[in-house]
Amino acid sequence: MQIIKENKNDILLLYVKGEIDINTSPQLKKDFDKIIAAKNGKIVMSFKDVSYIDSSGLATLVEMLKNLRSYGGKLKLANLSTKIKNLFEITKLEKLFDITQEEEEAIKALSA
Amino acid sequence: MFSESLNKTHSHEIKIPSDTAYIRQVSRKIEDFLKTKTQNSSVLFDIRLSVEEAVKNAIIHGNKRKENLSVSVRYSFREGAFSVEIEDAGSGFALEKIADPTKGDNVLMEGGRGVFLMHKLMDKVLYDKNRVSMIKLLKSQRGGKNADHKGK
Repeated sequence: MQIIKENKNDILLLYVKGEIDINTSPQLKKDFDKIIAAKNGKIVMSFKDVSYIDSSGLATLVEMLKNLRSYGGKLKLANLSTKIKNLFEITKLEKLFDITQEEEEAIKALSA
Repeated sequence: MFSESLNKTHSHEIKIPSDTAYIRQVSRKIEDFLKTKTQNSSVLFDIRLSVEEAVKNAIIHGNKRKENLSVSVRYSFREGAFSVEIEDAGSGFALEKIADPTKGDNVLMEGGRGVFLMHKLMDKVLYDKNRVSMIKLLKSQRGGKNADHKGK
């Protein structure tokens, strides 16, 4: 798994590539801990190149979201594959997370 | 060490140490086995996720990550159905004690979605002490979960 970071205005874009599972989610958590320590307030996470996520990956995302929200940070998930979006629906995490179809849409919403 | 065999009932068997680094090797072997049986990526995703969740639970909760204890994975394909059985050396667990992660504030839980997903993605999941058996119908059957997942 690889995470590419890009800043667009005051929004931090995270492009995750690969698979998020029990062996790779600690790396995602480590990266997010730095983001949280820096108190980044607006984050868009692109799943365009994420082909797989397991329950450990979902758990990491929930933990990250809770930590972000503790200081008023906002996280939007974009470009989820049909299969991954389906996992968010089954687990009802779609109600917890802000999910958009395209990252441009997420950026626009956070820029407003 | 990762080991593989074909047992008397024509089921394939894989044994791995209790280390999560071996999980993907198990699911890859199963994906290879299923290659000639289905090209349905949605079904293959469901099987991969369910097998990996079950093996992960066996390593972490069943064998408490003790590398000297192994996890056995037996699988076969018969009459359109893929069957897999995962066994650890633990004492088993009480399914009824697992909270529904979709109910109320449970959605905020950081863990506890593995078993739930296995039940949602497979057609049958059965527990017997330290062994979990799962079945996935590869051919879409009326009213079956594959029919429900059509197009996902």
